[in-house]
Amino acid sequence: MTTRTPFDIPAHASSDDPRVTLDEALGTFEPIPPYPPRTEREAEFYTLRDGEMFVNMGPQHPSTHGVLRIVLKIDGENVVDLDPVLGYLHRGVEKLCENADYHQAICYTDPLEYISSLFCEWSPVIAFEKLLDVQVPRRAEYIRVLSGELNRIASHALFMGWFALDLGGLTPILWSFIERDEIVEMLAALTGQRMLFNYFRIGGVNGDLNHEFMSRLGTWMSKATHQIDSNNALLNENEIFVRRARGLGVIDTATALNMCMTGPNLRATGVPFDVRRAHPYSIYPELDFDIPSRTEGDCLARYLLRMDEIKQSLRIIDQCLHEMPDGPVMAKMPRLIRPRPGRAYAAVEGPRGQYSTYAISDGTDQPYRMRIHDPSFVHLQAVGLLTPGNLIADTMAIMASLDPVMGGVDK
Amino acid sequence: MDRALRRRLEARFGEELTGPVRQRHDETEIRIAPGDLPEVMLALHDEPDLRFRLLSDLAGVDTGTTMQTVYHLWSDSSADWLRVIADGLSRDDPRVPSVTFLWKGAEWMEREAYDMFGITFEGNRDLRRIYMPPDYTSFPLRKDFFLPDDASRSPGGGVRPMEQTHGPTNAETAAHVRQASSS
Repeated sequence: MTTRTPFDIPAHASSDDPRVTLDEALGTFEPIPPYPPRTEREAEFYTLRDGEMFVNMGPQHPSTHGVLRIVLKIDGENVVDLDPVLGYLHRGVEKLCENADYHQAICYTDPLEYISSLFCEWSPVIAFEKLLDVQVPRRAEYIRVLSGELNRIASHALFMGWFALDLGGLTPILWSFIERDEIVEMLAALTGQRMLFNYFRIGGVNGDLNHEFMSRLGTWMSKATHQIDSNNALLNENEIFVRRARGLGVIDTATALNMCMTGPNLRATGVPFDVRRAHPYSIYPELDFDIPSRTEGDCLARYLLRMDEIKQSLRIIDQCLHEMPDGPVMAKMPRLIRPRPGRAYAAVEGPRGQYSTYAISDGTDQPYRMRIHDPSFVHLQAVGLLTPGNLIADTMAIMASLDPVMGGVDK
Repeated sequence: MDRALRRRLEARFGEELTGPVRQRHDETEIRIAPGDLPEVMLALHDEPDLRFRLLSDLAGVDTGTTMQTVYHLWSDSSADWLRVIADGLSRDDPRVPSVTFLWKGAEWMEREAYDMFGITFEGNRDLRRIYMPPDYTSFPLRKDFFLPDDASRSPGGGVRPMEQTHGPTNAETAAHVRQASSS
């Protein structure tokens, strides 16, 4: 059989024409890199011992939550080691922000983490406000907290569905999308966009609360607790799910701190570290809510912790609605801002952990350096620590329980 | 601003500090020489009145004349973020000791700083590019790496190709590179 080149195939040939079939497979991923190893770790990883082999997972694997490629070194069904390959979604957001002015930089940070965009906006906004010494109106702070907590619930609801989907259950993701879709529509009424809100501004928020948002929120709040409870009942009492997730991917407190983990993944190991309490920002010191924490540190603890956080977010939303003051939602800001030279750091507690921004101003209208720290990036590292020794299928379960979003990992 | 933390830092690290302890809003900033980094970080991490156990962020910075690595730490002993700046890395061959002996999670953050700035972290066991392809030679976040539409901002610079090699060995500080003020 002769090898055909694309030139032999007539232009009108359809894709099921046998002549179109190529003899050689194209575009396969060779797990062993075609260049000499760059570090000792890489050399060690790409050396196979008896009985071991490489398997590529991704970059289009549905369980990788985006475009991530993981090279698994397996022995039978057991994972011996793994090497995540990042960069498929790298957009160079930091460089783009350094070449945009302060207002423009905020909308570049939106698509970083497309599940919870408001938190990606929130940390640079606070950092820029620190550079400028702006006082944000109180109503704007309440609206920020209100919309942020709604976004946190949407993100955690989606986590529930994803996690169950990666463990093999299809129903929860359909249920969780009911919740998420209602919140997303609500935020669309408030901000004008479903996912990439671009709502927070330096010195306030883009617009005041409107009638559609408030009426949707009121309807949803009246049934939210009931709905979330019934969603939880679907999984919390499911023996297959609980047995699968319990004791899987256990991480202890010392290791979690050593791995720089934050957010629910750290709190599931027993450290009640939450930036909202540990280093308060906005109006969180005035609000009454608890920081749930668990001591098991396994996949089930991480799941249950997020479900507890949804309830705390509902409490915060309730308080915000009751105590919302009147007033402006934007401080008086010039169109072109030139902060004095200086440095500012701001961190917020997102649904996945601590989002932070380190901004340097050199006195021009563009940030000189804008460093964005994303919790997904740090947590994805822990997959390489937790997975070896487990089965291939557990890789997805552990990764899903850490809840990384590739948009944030790849920046 | 946490004045007590400032006094503690000045008393403990008086000799290592290369500049005054600065405080603004809820941040405290110290500057040290890159060589002192492991010692200072170990003291910050372990000493009972400091207890900076959480590494919040690790960033590389190109000031136009030198390189820096910036660490943000959190402790329950202080209400401030602590910013540690390892200052004065040469732009030609930026080298700084790794902090992976304290925080294993810093490994990827250091890989990112290496990928974007070419900073070599001595002691990181896996220092290779993380975002850019392995055969890539530039360091995109250095200030002499221009975006295509940047040409207008640098008179005399003309239109430069975006992806020219700026290895640390051949990097030069051009007059038209934007530089951070030294404050």
